[in-house]
Amino acid sequence: MTPNSATSGPSRRSFLASTAVAAAAVAGGVPLLSACGGSDSGSREGTTSDKDAKKILPAYVASDVVTPDIPSKNGSAVGFTSKLDLAGLKTSVPKKLGKGGEVTIMSPFWGSPPKGDNPYYRAMNDLIGVDVRWQNQDGNTYDQKLGAVLASSDVPDVVVVPGWNMGGKIPSAIISKFADLGPYLSGDKVKEYPNLAAIPTGAWQRSIFGGALRGVPMPASYVPNIVPCYRQDIFEEEGYEVPESADEFLALCKDITNAKAKRWACGDMKWTAFNSFGVLSGGEKPLGWNVVDGKLIYRIETEEFLEALEWTRKLFAAGVVHPDFELGKSQATDPAPKFAAGEFLIWNNDISTWYGQTASQATQNPDFKIWGMDIFGHDGGAPTLWATNPANIFAFVSKKASESVVRDALAVANVVAAPYGTKEYMLTNYGVEGTHYTVKDGVPIKNDKGNNEVINAYVMITSPAATIAHPDFPAVAKGQVEWQQRMGASTKKSAFWGMQITEPARFTNLSNDLEQLEDDVVRGRKKVSDVQQFVSEWKSKGGDKLRDWYQKILDENGSAAN
Amino acid sequence: MTSVMWEPRQAPVPDQPKEPRWWQAPPRPTWEEKPSQAGLAGKGLALSLAVLAILFPLWIVVVTSLSSRKTIDEAGGLVMVPKGITFIAYQELLSGGQVTRATVISVLVTLVGTAFSMTVSVLCAYGLSRTGSLGHRWILMTLLATMFFSAGLIPTYLLVQTLGLTDTYLALILPSAVSVFNILVLRGFFTGISQELIDSARIDGAGDIRILWQIVMPLSRAVIAVITLFYAVGYWSAWFNASLYLNDQDMMPLQNVMIQLVQKQEAPVGLGQAIKTGQLSGLAVQMAVMVMALLPVAVLSPFVQKHFKKGMLTGAVKG
Amino acid sequence: MSHSTVPRSRAEAKTKTPARTPVASVGATGPGGERGSGKPSLRLRFRRDRVLLLMTLPALVLVLLFNYVPILGNVVAFQEYDPYISDNGVVSILNSPFVGLENFQRIFEDSAFWNAVQNTLVLFFLQLVLFFPIPILLALLINSVVRPRVRAVAQAVLYLPHFFSWVLVIAVFQQLFGGAGVLSQLLRQNGYDGINIMTNPDTFPLLITAESVWKDAGWGIIVFLAALASVSPDLYEAAAMDGAGRWRRMWHVTLPALRPVIALLLVLRVGDALTVGFEQILLQRDAVGPGAGEVLDTFVWWNGVRNQDFSYAAAAGLVKGVVSLGLVLAANKVAHLMGEQGVYKK
Repeated sequence: MTPNSATSGPSRRSFLASTAVAAAAVAGGVPLLSACGGSDSGSREGTTSDKDAKKILPAYVASDVVTPDIPSKNGSAVGFTSKLDLAGLKTSVPKKLGKGGEVTIMSPFWGSPPKGDNPYYRAMNDLIGVDVRWQNQDGNTYDQKLGAVLASSDVPDVVVVPGWNMGGKIPSAIISKFADLGPYLSGDKVKEYPNLAAIPTGAWQRSIFGGALRGVPMPASYVPNIVPCYRQDIFEEEGYEVPESADEFLALCKDITNAKAKRWACGDMKWTAFNSFGVLSGGEKPLGWNVVDGKLIYRIETEEFLEALEWTRKLFAAGVVHPDFELGKSQATDPAPKFAAGEFLIWNNDISTWYGQTASQATQNPDFKIWGMDIFGHDGGAPTLWATNPANIFAFVSKKASESVVRDALAVANVVAAPYGTKEYMLTNYGVEGTHYTVKDGVPIKNDKGNNEVINAYVMITSPAATIAHPDFPAVAKGQVEWQQRMGASTKKSAFWGMQITEPARFTNLSNDLEQLEDDVVRGRKKVSDVQQFVSEWKSKGGDKLRDWYQKILDENGSAAN
Repeated sequence: MTSVMWEPRQAPVPDQPKEPRWWQAPPRPTWEEKPSQAGLAGKGLALSLAVLAILFPLWIVVVTSLSSRKTIDEAGGLVMVPKGITFIAYQELLSGGQVTRATVISVLVTLVGTAFSMTVSVLCAYGLSRTGSLGHRWILMTLLATMFFSAGLIPTYLLVQTLGLTDTYLALILPSAVSVFNILVLRGFFTGISQELIDSARIDGAGDIRILWQIVMPLSRAVIAVITLFYAVGYWSAWFNASLYLNDQDMMPLQNVMIQLVQKQEAPVGLGQAIKTGQLSGLAVQMAVMVMALLPVAVLSPFVQKHFKKGMLTGAVKG
Repeated sequence: MSHSTVPRSRAEAKTKTPARTPVASVGATGPGGERGSGKPSLRLRFRRDRVLLLMTLPALVLVLLFNYVPILGNVVAFQEYDPYISDNGVVSILNSPFVGLENFQRIFEDSAFWNAVQNTLVLFFLQLVLFFPIPILLALLINSVVRPRVRAVAQAVLYLPHFFSWVLVIAVFQQLFGGAGVLSQLLRQNGYDGINIMTNPDTFPLLITAESVWKDAGWGIIVFLAALASVSPDLYEAAAMDGAGRWRRMWHVTLPALRPVIALLLVLRVGDALTVGFEQILLQRDAVGPGAGEVLDTFVWWNGVRNQDFSYAAAAGLVKGVVSLGLVLAANKVAHLMGEQGVYKK
């Protein structure tokens, strides 16, 4: 399991949707002056100033329970590559923190939820000392359920909200319906929950909504999560070299493509193009702004943005992109079997694809080998990458919950945040040994019961600091962490990185149609000049005012850029 | 009533006294001219083309549902030429007992819901079928408007919650119990029934309930069968209300469980998701779900068609 | 035995309505021959019709409760509604500020909205011409099949695609007609260029219509079959006796029987003109871009529902509802002019 993959959502569809929703997402925060009050009646736009944030952020106390095989560097996850030794598992939660109360948790779920009373939930609840009652909801329609439940006066004790479900008025709901966890976690108070204290500060900062610490974050690596994965086995067989510049990539693609033989070079490489050309992150709106020559500019105003689109257009025009990808992001067909069939060889997708495809092909397709290629700088040099947010899924506690319920909820989170190599981690992620998994040659393998019961639920609450550990494929874990470290070396933070910022409502629809326009351009239905036209309209329709608005935040708050 | 219901096979055909076997055409009535060869061929061709256009994609779906992951990955997705058959996708669906329980729930909800909807709709359609009855146009307009104005998700959810229907099966029935479209179609057929017949029954002292039960309903068997089917299909395939109004997983109807089972296959790593390393392909599960969705249709179709026999509804009308 | 004769003219067919019974024409003047004799008093009418009214009551109560009560929530179309400012969404309506027609203004000033309306109407007309008649023709075809087994099997097969999900239908179409599909590969193997029917904006409306026909035309025959089941064979016999051939019988007996149903469905379809396959198009909109692929419902989804901009979505819903209601009433008027009952009688 790779907790860091959580940044982009767990299913193919929601993964794809997440970029669209994230582009429209707004996050909570009250304006600077009223931040201290944090009252509901105030405006909910803006962010919380650094100074104020420092007061409410939990202290960071690194965990020393387990030493990772590969420590974090350049913002990478920590990596574990050694065999699992059950006898050597550590304990990170020496005494039950739960007070035995009942906590209802609503969370998105992909798959079929197990019965409410099952050995996994029982074992977890025993370990925590809390009677957790799960309301597992269909992950693909979660946004609608969430919107309705929050509008009722009957909110569950704990609600998990992924960033891609934070569109529209949800940040407002977060501020008005959920409790301030500051009294339990700010400063040294967090030390009561050592595993939560080991969650990096950047992730906590993202949990400040409306001037108060309201969420328990799921930390993630800030290194861009889109990896251009390629079929290493076929590359080796055909003698293809991994390209190191945009031109080399295009030439290679032309070399690979043979439509008659049903082979194309790649999928839609737009995300890789953005990374390769150094376009500011499009993951969340505030990340798209940065200071260039003393002036705030938005990603779509940059030359790099147009260049990246033009280059992606070249790929489509050259016919090297698999035709299924012309269907766009709501594509009705799953690329995975086509990748496995060798219909296309380069697939840029979330980093979790790397391990996922390796594991799912291993038994019946032993030749199959997928590897991640480094993001090439478009000119052949090192790329300029822009950091993504360090947390994107949050667990909130209802405002109506009593103190003991809040404490019990935090006790749940503290167990779930236990680092790899502990008993708590194994129980949370693999279930009960013998019942849900067995260990063979140092590799834990889930059985059917494990696959049915030990999915979603607890792991949605939070996770330890970004961790990559695949005991079954340690080489992949190593490859992933090292990829993150190499890419992390080229990763910069933009001006508003890590801040939870709510744009005023009047601006939220400004760049609604942009993503679609990008897709139209690379598919040849619109021209780059249409993008320029869009940008100038964007400026006049409010983009310039939005710039002033961001400038004010920057002036009062300082830049996160490095 | 002097004439009996007309049945083709009862027409006198002296040299073929036995009932025709299923592959033979029943004898045509004596007054009907012999069909031309070209006409027959044209009809046959048109029908074959229509059926083939459906069966070919269906073939792809069925074959893919019976394929292993290896076959699917080699084909790059949907499989057209079978390479070995495996039932693991169906095993995956049927194991765990969820599907059995959910099927029972779905059948019950469909039965109860359809019976309720039909009662309400037939009564309403009949109540509106008399031209010139008091207020029928106002009521019609009131119903009609709901076909075009919809309520938002949040008000509907809050209403259902306020009524205390969340986590009850009533939430799957009541909010969607009335289809105005179905009422309008029923009413359209009801108004076509001989008014003379109804009037004479009224003169004999029959009330509206009796007229509905003894005259209108028997004469409308075909459309009642159709609307019953529409409601049943609606209840059977509904899933959104369940995902919105039910929290208890054990209450979920079949469609929701099927959607969950498909999602379980789709989701890649991350968030503790299971990775299937064996021969089972998510695509096969998806296709198996589709095939299983078609089964009730195939089973129920004859029951509905029974009511479509030519001219079966006219016997009673003639006098 | 029947005393009917074959209607020789349209006018006659209309009054005779042979689909019913020879006496059906009496019904057209209403019960009791009240027409023209002055309306009875309200009290008398109530007493006469109270059972009928009572029968409509259950449906009416359900509709009032589950449709009209939540529809009141559409008042947020005139607000900048935030469902979360109060303890629950209803109280929030009282506390959200009114903004007049601002949301409507936002919709009407957006050129993308008008583009979506245009696409919707193009698709509607295309489907009206290319889709609507097909179930009728199929029903006639099925109805003319005399072998019961052939009939049963054909009917069962024709229903099936209706139960396929749109995702699947599109996946299958992509498999056959996509850029890497069967057709394209066949062309390539024979030295031609592949074609990608699935992503061509120019032919997109045709593609959508073709998919709809494939999926739902077979299911659509069912109501027409029910109507055909009520045609008395005696009418055919009598027509044949009068020397009417196969086609004349279809024209003068079968089609008049279908006319009321066709008129009703047509009127309702016109009322639904602004609704053209939401899920189907949402799934394929990106394949051709919003220029060709955006319809009204997907436009509202992208700009209102997805962003949880409830006020915007409600405003768009109201606009659509008003237009639809106007269309259905106009269509009904036209039906009346053509001598059909449509949804309700004058």
